[in-house]
Amino acid sequence: MRYEIRHKPSFATLFLQLQPGEHLTAEAGAMASMDGAMQMVTAFSGGFFPALLKTFLGGESLFVNTFSNQSDRPLDLVITQACVGDMIRLELKAGESLCLQPGAYIAHMGGVTMNVQWAGFKSWFSGEGLFKLKIQGPGLLFFGAYGGITERRVQGDFIVDTGHLVAYSPQLKMNIQLSGGLLGSITSGEGFVNRMTGQGKIYLQSRSIGGLVNFLRPRLRG
Amino acid sequence: MKLDILKQPDSAVAHIMMDPHEEMNAEAGAMIAMSGHVQASTTLRQGKGGGIMGGLKRMLAGESLFLSVFRSGGAAADLYLAPKLMGDILPYMLTPTGLVVQSTGYLASTPGVDIELGFQGLRSFFSGESIFWLNISGDGLVLINSFGGIYEVDVDGEYVVDTGHVVAFEKNLTFSIGKPSSSWLGSFLGGEGLVLRFQGRGKLYCQTHNPGAFGRLVGSQLPPRG
Repeated sequence: MRYEIRHKPSFATLFLQLQPGEHLTAEAGAMASMDGAMQMVTAFSGGFFPALLKTFLGGESLFVNTFSNQSDRPLDLVITQACVGDMIRLELKAGESLCLQPGAYIAHMGGVTMNVQWAGFKSWFSGEGLFKLKIQGPGLLFFGAYGGITERRVQGDFIVDTGHLVAYSPQLKMNIQLSGGLLGSITSGEGFVNRMTGQGKIYLQSRSIGGLVNFLRPRLRG
Repeated sequence: MKLDILKQPDSAVAHIMMDPHEEMNAEAGAMIAMSGHVQASTTLRQGKGGGIMGGLKRMLAGESLFLSVFRSGGAAADLYLAPKLMGDILPYMLTPTGLVVQSTGYLASTPGVDIELGFQGLRSFFSGESIFWLNISGDGLVLINSFGGIYEVDVDGEYVVDTGHVVAFEKNLTFSIGKPSSSWLGSFLGGEGLVLRFQGRGKLYCQTHNPGAFGRLVGSQLPPRG
Protein backbone atom coordinates (compact mmCIF):
# COMPACT_ATOMS: atom_id res chain seq x y z
CA MET A 1 0.00 0.00 0.00
CA ARG A 2 1.16 3.50 -0.78
CA TYR A 3 -0.34 6.50 0.91
CA GLU A 4 0.27 10.19 1.38
CA ILE A 5 -1.44 12.87 3.44
CA ARG A 6 -1.73 15.93 1.19
CA HIS A 7 -3.13 19.46 1.64
CA LYS A 8 -1.74 19.63 5.16
CA PRO A 9 -2.39 21.23 7.57
CA SER A 10 -5.72 22.96 6.87
CA PHE A 11 -7.29 20.39 4.55
CA ALA A 12 -5.35 17.21 5.31
CA THR A 13 -6.64 14.43 3.09
CA LEU A 14 -5.47 10.84 2.77
CA PHE A 15 -4.57 9.66 -0.74
CA LEU A 16 -4.06 5.89 -0.88
CA GLN A 17 -3.26 3.29 -3.44
CA LEU A 18 -4.34 -0.20 -2.41
CA GLN A 19 -2.56 -3.18 -3.94
CA PRO A 20 -4.59 -6.23 -4.97
CA GLY A 21 -5.87 -8.04 -1.89
CA GLU A 22 -5.36 -5.06 0.46
CA HIS A 23 -8.12 -3.36 2.38
CA LEU A 24 -8.75 -0.31 4.56
CA THR A 25 -11.53 0.44 7.02
CA ALA A 26 -12.79 4.00 7.35
CA GLU A 27 -15.43 5.96 9.19
CA ALA A 28 -18.83 6.10 7.47
CA GLY A 29 -18.94 8.99 5.02
CA ALA A 30 -15.16 9.47 4.88
CA MET A 31 -14.74 8.42 1.24
CA ALA A 32 -14.29 11.38 -1.12
CA SER A 33 -13.54 9.44 -4.30
CA MET A 34 -12.18 6.11 -5.49
CA ASP A 35 -11.51 3.90 -8.45
CA GLY A 36 -14.68 2.39 -9.92
CA ALA A 37 -13.39 -1.13 -9.31
CA MET A 38 -12.99 -0.65 -5.54
CA GLN A 39 -15.35 -2.76 -3.43
CA MET A 40 -17.06 -1.13 -0.45
CA VAL A 41 -18.73 -3.12 2.30
CA THR A 42 -20.54 -1.53 5.24
CA ALA A 43 -20.34 -3.13 8.68
CA PHE A 44 -21.22 -2.29 12.24
CA SER A 45 -18.13 -0.84 13.83
CA GLY A 46 -16.80 -3.42 16.27
CA GLY A 47 -19.94 -5.56 16.22
CA PHE A 48 -23.60 -4.77 16.63
CA PHE A 49 -23.90 -3.94 20.32
CA PRO A 50 -20.68 -1.91 20.69
CA ALA A 51 -21.66 -0.06 17.54
CA LEU A 52 -25.01 0.88 19.05
CA LEU A 53 -23.34 2.04 22.23
CA LYS A 54 -20.87 4.08 20.28
CA THR A 55 -23.47 5.86 18.21
CA PHE A 56 -25.89 6.75 20.93
CA LEU A 57 -23.42 7.45 23.66
CA GLY A 58 -20.04 8.00 22.09
CA GLY A 59 -20.87 10.32 19.24
CA GLU A 60 -19.15 8.10 16.67
CA SER A 61 -20.90 6.66 13.69
CA LEU A 62 -22.57 3.29 13.98
CA PHE A 63 -21.00 2.06 10.80
CA VAL A 64 -17.65 1.73 9.18
CA ASN A 65 -16.89 1.02 5.54
CA THR A 66 -14.27 -1.45 4.43
CA PHE A 67 -12.71 -0.76 1.05
CA SER A 68 -11.02 -3.71 -0.58
CA ASN A 69 -9.15 -4.19 -3.79
CA GLN A 70 -10.32 -7.42 -5.35
CA SER A 71 -8.98 -6.57 -8.78
CA ASP A 72 -5.56 -7.39 -10.20
CA ARG A 73 -4.19 -3.84 -10.37
CA PRO A 74 -3.53 -1.08 -7.80
CA LEU A 75 -6.61 1.06 -7.06
CA ASP A 76 -6.82 4.66 -5.83
CA LEU A 77 -8.85 5.78 -2.82
CA VAL A 78 -9.24 9.23 -1.25
CA ILE A 79 -10.32 9.48 2.40
CA THR A 80 -11.11 12.73 4.21
CA GLN A 81 -12.86 14.06 7.31
CA ALA A 82 -15.85 16.34 7.87
CA CYS A 83 -13.94 19.10 9.64
CA VAL A 84 -11.17 21.22 8.22
CA GLY A 85 -7.86 20.46 9.85
CA ASP A 86 -4.89 18.22 10.17
CA MET A 87 -4.58 14.46 10.16
CA ILE A 88 -2.19 12.17 12.04
CA ARG A 89 -0.90 8.79 10.99
CA LEU A 90 0.14 6.51 13.80
CA GLU A 91 1.82 3.11 13.63
CA LEU A 92 0.57 1.18 16.65
CA LYS A 93 2.70 -1.75 17.82
CA ALA A 94 1.14 -4.96 19.11
CA GLY A 95 -0.61 -4.24 22.39
CA GLU A 96 -0.14 -0.48 22.04
CA SER A 97 -3.37 1.48 22.16
CA LEU A 98 -4.83 4.96 21.99
CA CYS A 99 -8.14 6.45 23.11
CA LEU A 100 -9.92 8.73 20.64
CA GLN A 101 -12.41 11.45 21.39
CA PRO A 102 -15.74 11.35 19.50
CA GLY A 103 -15.34 12.33 15.86
CA ALA A 104 -11.56 11.93 15.71
CA TYR A 105 -11.41 8.48 14.12
CA ILE A 106 -10.86 8.41 10.35
CA ALA A 107 -9.45 5.07 9.21
CA HIS A 108 -7.32 2.07 10.11
CA MET A 109 -5.72 -0.96 8.56
CA GLY A 110 -3.81 -4.04 9.59
CA GLY A 111 -4.69 -5.85 12.80
CA VAL A 112 -6.14 -2.79 14.52
CA THR A 113 -9.21 -3.41 16.69
CA MET A 114 -11.77 -0.85 17.90
CA ASN A 115 -13.38 -1.17 21.30
CA VAL A 116 -15.86 0.89 23.21
CA GLN A 117 -15.05 1.44 26.84
CA TRP A 118 -16.88 2.93 29.74
CA ALA A 119 -15.61 6.46 30.30
CA GLY A 120 -17.70 7.31 33.32
CA PHE A 121 -20.28 9.88 34.31
CA LYS A 122 -17.64 12.51 34.86
CA SER A 123 -16.72 12.33 31.22
CA TRP A 124 -20.38 12.53 30.20
CA PHE A 125 -20.97 15.46 32.49
CA SER A 126 -18.27 17.43 30.71
CA GLY A 127 -19.86 16.71 27.35
CA GLU A 128 -17.40 14.05 26.28
CA GLY A 129 -19.74 11.08 26.25
CA LEU A 130 -20.22 8.08 28.49
CA PHE A 131 -18.06 5.82 26.41
CA LYS A 132 -14.68 6.19 24.82
CA LEU A 133 -13.24 4.65 21.71
CA LYS A 134 -10.09 2.59 22.26
CA ILE A 135 -7.96 1.63 19.28
CA GLN A 136 -5.50 -1.23 19.75
CA GLY A 137 -2.55 -2.25 17.57
CA PRO A 138 -0.81 -3.71 15.70
CA GLY A 139 -1.55 -1.65 12.63
CA LEU A 140 -1.94 1.76 11.14
CA LEU A 141 -4.36 4.37 12.48
CA PHE A 142 -5.43 7.69 10.96
CA PHE A 143 -7.24 10.29 12.99
CA GLY A 144 -8.06 13.93 12.47
CA ALA A 145 -8.99 17.15 14.19
CA TYR A 146 -10.40 20.63 13.71
CA GLY A 147 -7.35 22.86 13.23
CA GLY A 148 -3.76 21.80 13.81
CA ILE A 149 -2.68 18.87 15.96
CA THR A 150 -0.04 19.10 18.67
CA GLU A 151 1.48 16.03 20.27
CA ARG A 152 2.61 16.31 23.85
CA ARG A 153 4.16 13.90 26.33
CA VAL A 154 2.60 13.95 29.77
CA GLN A 155 4.54 13.10 32.87
CA GLY A 156 2.78 13.60 36.12
CA ASP A 157 0.05 16.18 35.90
CA PHE A 158 -1.26 18.12 32.92
CA ILE A 159 -4.41 20.17 32.40
CA VAL A 160 -6.26 20.22 29.07
CA ASP A 161 -9.39 22.02 27.94
CA THR A 162 -11.96 19.29 27.23
CA GLY A 163 -12.90 20.63 23.78
CA HIS A 164 -9.32 20.52 22.54
CA LEU A 165 -8.38 16.97 23.46
CA VAL A 166 -8.33 14.65 20.43
CA ALA A 167 -6.57 11.50 21.60
CA TYR A 168 -4.64 10.19 24.60
CA SER A 169 -2.84 7.12 25.90
CA PRO A 170 -5.20 4.88 27.88
CA GLN A 171 -2.67 4.78 30.76
CA LEU A 172 -3.52 8.40 31.51
CA LYS A 173 -6.15 8.95 34.14
CA MET A 174 -8.70 11.64 33.37
CA ASN A 175 -10.24 13.82 35.98
CA ILE A 176 -12.83 16.39 35.02
CA GLN A 177 -12.79 19.43 37.25
CA LEU A 178 -13.61 23.11 37.31
CA SER A 179 -10.81 25.23 35.93
CA GLY A 180 -10.65 27.36 39.05
CA GLY A 181 -13.11 28.28 41.75
CA LEU A 182 -16.79 28.13 40.86
CA LEU A 183 -17.03 31.82 40.03
CA GLY A 184 -13.66 31.96 38.33
CA SER A 185 -14.50 29.00 36.12
CA ILE A 186 -17.60 30.71 34.82
CA THR A 187 -16.13 34.15 34.33
CA SER A 188 -12.87 33.00 32.74
CA GLY A 189 -14.79 31.08 30.09
CA GLU A 190 -12.74 27.96 30.64
CA GLY A 191 -15.52 26.00 32.32
CA PHE A 192 -14.49 22.41 32.81
CA VAL A 193 -10.96 21.25 32.30
CA ASN A 194 -9.45 17.85 32.18
CA ARG A 195 -6.65 16.91 34.55
CA MET A 196 -4.60 14.10 33.01
CA THR A 197 -2.40 12.14 35.41
CA GLY A 198 0.19 9.50 34.66
CA GLN A 199 2.60 8.85 31.84
CA GLY A 200 1.64 8.90 28.20
CA LYS A 201 0.90 10.97 25.12
CA ILE A 202 -1.88 13.41 24.36
CA TYR A 203 -2.92 14.99 21.07
CA LEU A 204 -4.50 18.44 21.09
CA GLN A 205 -6.42 20.27 18.39
CA SER A 206 -5.74 23.98 17.95
CA ARG A 207 -9.44 24.87 17.52
CA SER A 208 -12.67 23.36 18.81
CA ILE A 209 -16.02 22.90 17.09
CA GLY A 210 -17.65 23.93 20.36
CA GLY A 211 -15.81 27.25 20.18
CA LEU A 212 -17.03 27.87 16.62
CA VAL A 213 -20.58 26.98 17.61
CA ASN A 214 -20.46 29.35 20.57
CA PHE A 215 -19.19 32.11 18.30
CA LEU A 216 -21.95 31.57 15.73
CA ARG A 217 -24.89 30.96 18.03
CA PRO A 218 -25.54 34.52 19.25
CA ARG A 219 -25.08 35.81 15.68
CA LEU A 220 -27.84 33.68 14.20
CA ARG A 221 -31.15 35.41 13.65
CA GLY A 222 -34.23 33.51 14.64
CA MET B 1 -5.35 40.43 -18.79
CA LYS B 2 -3.12 38.80 -16.23
CA LEU B 3 -4.16 36.55 -13.40
CA ASP B 4 -2.49 35.89 -10.10
CA ILE B 5 -3.93 33.57 -7.47
CA LEU B 6 -2.89 34.70 -4.01
CA LYS B 7 -3.09 33.07 -0.58
CA GLN B 8 -3.29 29.54 -1.84
CA PRO B 9 -4.28 26.98 -0.84
CA ASP B 10 -6.54 27.70 2.12
CA SER B 11 -7.82 31.22 1.49
CA ALA B 12 -7.30 31.73 -2.22
CA VAL B 13 -8.06 35.11 -3.79
CA ALA B 14 -7.93 35.86 -7.51
CA HIS B 15 -6.11 39.06 -8.43
CA ILE B 16 -7.03 40.01 -11.99
CA MET B 17 -4.98 42.70 -13.71
CA MET B 18 -7.22 43.96 -16.50
CA ASP B 19 -6.02 45.83 -19.57
CA PRO B 20 -8.05 48.79 -20.86
CA HIS B 21 -11.41 47.82 -22.41
CA GLU B 22 -11.54 44.39 -20.89
CA GLU B 23 -14.43 42.62 -19.24
CA MET B 24 -14.78 39.93 -16.58
CA ASN B 25 -17.85 38.07 -15.35
CA ALA B 26 -18.14 36.78 -11.81
CA GLU B 27 -20.57 35.23 -9.40
CA ALA B 28 -22.54 38.04 -7.73
CA GLY B 29 -20.97 38.89 -4.38
CA ALA B 30 -17.51 37.61 -5.29
CA MET B 31 -15.85 41.03 -5.68
CA ILE B 32 -13.81 42.05 -2.65
CA ALA B 33 -11.95 45.03 -4.11
CA MET B 34 -11.34 46.83 -7.40
CA SER B 35 -9.89 49.99 -8.93
CA GLY B 36 -12.11 53.05 -8.57
CA HIS B 37 -12.86 53.46 -12.25
CA VAL B 38 -14.07 49.90 -12.87
CA GLN B 39 -17.67 49.85 -14.07
CA ALA B 40 -19.63 47.15 -12.29
CA SER B 41 -23.01 46.07 -13.52
CA THR B 42 -25.16 43.01 -13.43
CA THR B 43 -26.34 40.99 -16.32
CA LEU B 44 -28.80 38.38 -17.43
CA ARG B 45 -26.48 37.01 -20.00
CA GLN B 46 -27.67 36.69 -23.58
CA GLY B 47 -27.08 33.68 -25.75
CA LYS B 48 -27.11 30.19 -24.36
CA GLY B 49 -28.63 30.24 -20.91
CA GLY B 50 -29.10 33.99 -21.11
CA GLY B 51 -32.27 36.07 -20.76
CA ILE B 52 -34.88 35.78 -18.05
CA MET B 53 -35.35 32.02 -18.38
CA GLY B 54 -31.62 31.41 -18.28
CA GLY B 55 -31.38 33.58 -15.19
CA LEU B 56 -34.25 31.75 -13.52
CA LYS B 57 -32.54 28.47 -14.30
CA ARG B 58 -29.37 29.76 -12.72
CA MET B 59 -31.34 30.76 -9.64
CA LEU B 60 -32.71 27.22 -9.42
CA ALA B 61 -29.17 25.97 -9.68
CA GLY B 62 -28.23 27.72 -6.48
CA GLU B 63 -26.31 30.27 -8.50
CA SER B 64 -27.23 33.90 -8.28
CA LEU B 65 -29.73 35.06 -10.84
CA PHE B 66 -27.38 37.81 -11.89
CA LEU B 67 -23.78 37.65 -12.84
CA SER B 68 -21.65 40.67 -12.09
CA VAL B 69 -19.80 42.21 -15.02
CA PHE B 70 -16.69 44.27 -14.48
CA ARG B 71 -15.39 46.58 -17.24
CA SER B 72 -12.02 48.24 -17.01
CA GLY B 73 -12.98 51.14 -19.33
CA GLY B 74 -10.22 53.40 -20.62
CA ALA B 75 -7.45 52.42 -18.22
CA ALA B 76 -5.87 49.29 -16.80
CA ALA B 77 -7.55 48.07 -13.61
CA ASP B 78 -7.18 45.68 -10.71
CA LEU B 79 -9.93 43.37 -9.58
CA TYR B 80 -9.93 41.00 -6.61
CA LEU B 81 -12.40 38.12 -6.45
CA ALA B 82 -12.91 35.61 -3.65
CA PRO B 83 -15.24 32.68 -2.97
CA LYS B 84 -17.20 32.44 0.29
CA LEU B 85 -15.78 29.25 1.77
CA MET B 86 -12.19 28.57 2.75
CA GLY B 87 -10.42 26.83 -0.06
CA ASP B 88 -8.60 26.96 -3.35
CA ILE B 89 -9.17 28.53 -6.77
CA LEU B 90 -8.31 26.76 -10.01
CA PRO B 91 -7.98 28.56 -13.35
CA TYR B 92 -9.20 26.39 -16.23
CA MET B 93 -8.64 27.19 -19.92
CA LEU B 94 -11.71 26.03 -21.86
CA THR B 95 -11.17 23.58 -24.67
CA PRO B 96 -13.75 22.70 -27.35
CA THR B 97 -14.72 19.75 -25.13
CA GLY B 98 -16.39 22.02 -22.57
CA LEU B 99 -16.60 21.75 -18.81
CA VAL B 100 -19.36 20.91 -16.37
CA VAL B 101 -19.08 22.74 -13.03
CA GLN B 102 -21.03 22.03 -9.87
CA SER B 103 -23.22 25.10 -9.25
CA THR B 104 -21.33 26.31 -6.17
CA GLY B 105 -17.98 25.75 -7.87
CA TYR B 106 -18.23 28.65 -10.31
CA LEU B 107 -16.37 31.85 -9.41
CA ALA B 108 -15.67 33.84 -12.57
CA SER B 109 -15.06 33.70 -16.30
CA THR B 110 -13.89 35.83 -19.20
CA PRO B 111 -16.45 37.09 -21.77
CA GLY B 112 -16.91 34.51 -24.53
CA VAL B 113 -17.59 31.83 -21.96
CA ASP B 114 -21.19 30.61 -21.97
CA ILE B 115 -22.86 29.44 -18.77
CA GLU B 116 -25.98 27.37 -18.85
CA LEU B 117 -27.80 25.01 -16.50
CA GLY B 118 -27.01 21.55 -17.78
CA PHE B 119 -29.38 18.68 -18.41
CA GLN B 120 -27.53 16.77 -15.75
CA GLY B 121 -29.28 19.03 -13.26
CA LEU B 122 -32.47 17.04 -13.66
CA ARG B 123 -30.83 13.73 -13.04
CA SER B 124 -28.89 14.99 -10.06
CA PHE B 125 -32.04 16.33 -8.49
CA PHE B 126 -32.85 12.83 -7.30
CA SER B 127 -29.52 12.30 -5.61
CA GLY B 128 -30.80 14.03 -2.48
CA GLU B 129 -27.88 16.45 -2.48
CA SER B 130 -29.69 18.80 -4.86
CA ILE B 131 -26.63 19.52 -6.91
CA PHE B 132 -27.04 21.22 -10.20
CA TRP B 133 -24.57 21.54 -12.97
CA LEU B 134 -23.46 24.51 -14.97
CA ASN B 135 -22.68 23.64 -18.52
CA ILE B 136 -19.74 25.77 -19.52
CA SER B 137 -18.67 26.15 -23.11
CA GLY B 138 -17.12 28.68 -25.46
CA ASP B 139 -13.71 30.17 -25.41
CA GLY B 140 -11.74 31.61 -22.50
CA LEU B 141 -10.81 31.20 -18.88
CA VAL B 142 -13.00 29.91 -16.05
CA LEU B 143 -12.12 30.22 -12.37
CA ILE B 144 -13.52 27.45 -10.23
CA ASN B 145 -13.39 27.32 -6.44
CA SER B 146 -13.47 24.54 -3.88
CA PHE B 147 -14.07 23.91 -0.20
CA GLY B 148 -10.64 22.62 0.80
CA GLY B 149 -7.98 21.70 -1.72
CA ILE B 150 -8.62 20.74 -5.34
CA TYR B 151 -7.22 17.53 -6.76
CA GLU B 152 -7.25 16.45 -10.35
CA VAL B 153 -8.09 12.91 -11.40
CA ASP B 154 -7.30 11.61 -14.88
CA VAL B 155 -10.22 9.31 -15.37
CA ASP B 156 -9.65 6.42 -17.72
CA GLY B 157 -12.31 3.80 -17.22
CA GLU B 158 -14.52 4.13 -14.17
CA TYR B 159 -14.15 6.41 -11.16
CA VAL B 160 -16.46 7.02 -8.20
CA VAL B 161 -16.89 10.34 -6.36
CA ASP B 162 -19.07 11.24 -3.39
CA THR B 163 -21.63 13.85 -4.52
CA GLY B 164 -20.29 16.46 -2.08
CA HIS B 165 -16.77 16.28 -3.47
CA VAL B 166 -17.28 16.96 -7.18
CA VAL B 167 -16.19 20.38 -8.40
CA ALA B 168 -15.99 20.06 -12.18
CA PHE B 169 -15.38 17.60 -14.99
CA GLU B 170 -14.68 17.66 -18.69
CA LYS B 171 -17.68 16.97 -20.88
CA ASN B 172 -16.25 13.87 -22.49
CA LEU B 173 -16.88 12.12 -19.18
CA THR B 174 -20.34 10.73 -18.63
CA PHE B 175 -21.73 9.87 -15.23
CA SER B 176 -24.55 8.01 -13.62
CA ILE B 177 -25.89 8.40 -10.11
CA GLY B 178 -25.24 5.21 -8.22
CA LYS B 179 -24.64 3.63 -4.89
CA PRO B 180 -21.15 3.13 -3.52
CA SER B 181 -21.48 -0.55 -2.64
CA SER B 182 -23.30 -3.46 -4.22
CA SER B 183 -26.01 -3.59 -1.56
CA TRP B 184 -28.62 -0.86 -1.16
CA LEU B 185 -28.76 -1.24 2.62
CA GLY B 186 -24.99 -0.94 2.95
CA SER B 187 -24.97 2.09 0.69
CA PHE B 188 -27.60 3.76 2.79
CA LEU B 189 -26.13 2.92 6.19
CA GLY B 190 -22.53 3.47 5.14
CA GLY B 191 -23.01 7.23 5.22
CA GLU B 192 -21.75 7.75 1.70
CA GLY B 193 -25.21 8.48 0.34
CA LEU B 194 -25.22 8.45 -3.40
CA VAL B 195 -22.15 8.66 -5.53
CA LEU B 196 -21.38 9.71 -9.06
CA ARG B 197 -19.91 6.97 -11.20
CA PHE B 198 -17.89 8.55 -13.98
CA GLN B 199 -17.06 6.79 -17.20
CA GLY B 200 -14.86 7.63 -20.14
CA ARG B 201 -11.63 9.53 -20.47
CA GLY B 202 -11.09 13.03 -19.21
CA LYS B 203 -10.18 15.23 -16.31
CA LEU B 204 -12.18 15.38 -13.12
CA TYR B 205 -11.67 17.97 -10.37
CA CYS B 206 -12.60 17.09 -6.80
CA GLN B 207 -12.51 19.04 -3.55
CA THR B 208 -10.90 17.48 -0.48
CA HIS B 209 -13.73 18.57 1.81
CA ASN B 210 -17.49 18.28 1.67
CA PRO B 211 -19.31 21.56 2.51
CA GLY B 212 -22.47 19.62 3.42
CA ALA B 213 -20.64 17.39 5.90
CA PHE B 214 -18.93 20.34 7.58
CA GLY B 215 -22.24 22.20 7.64
CA ARG B 216 -23.94 19.29 9.38
CA LEU B 217 -21.09 18.98 11.89
CA VAL B 218 -21.45 22.61 12.96
CA GLY B 219 -25.13 23.08 12.15
CA SER B 220 -26.30 20.15 14.26
CA GLN B 221 -25.05 22.02 17.34
CA LEU B 222 -26.70 25.31 16.47
CA PRO B 223 -30.23 26.20 17.57
CA PRO B 224 -32.93 25.46 14.98
CA ARG B 225 -33.89 28.28 12.65
CA GLY B 226 -36.91 30.11 14.03
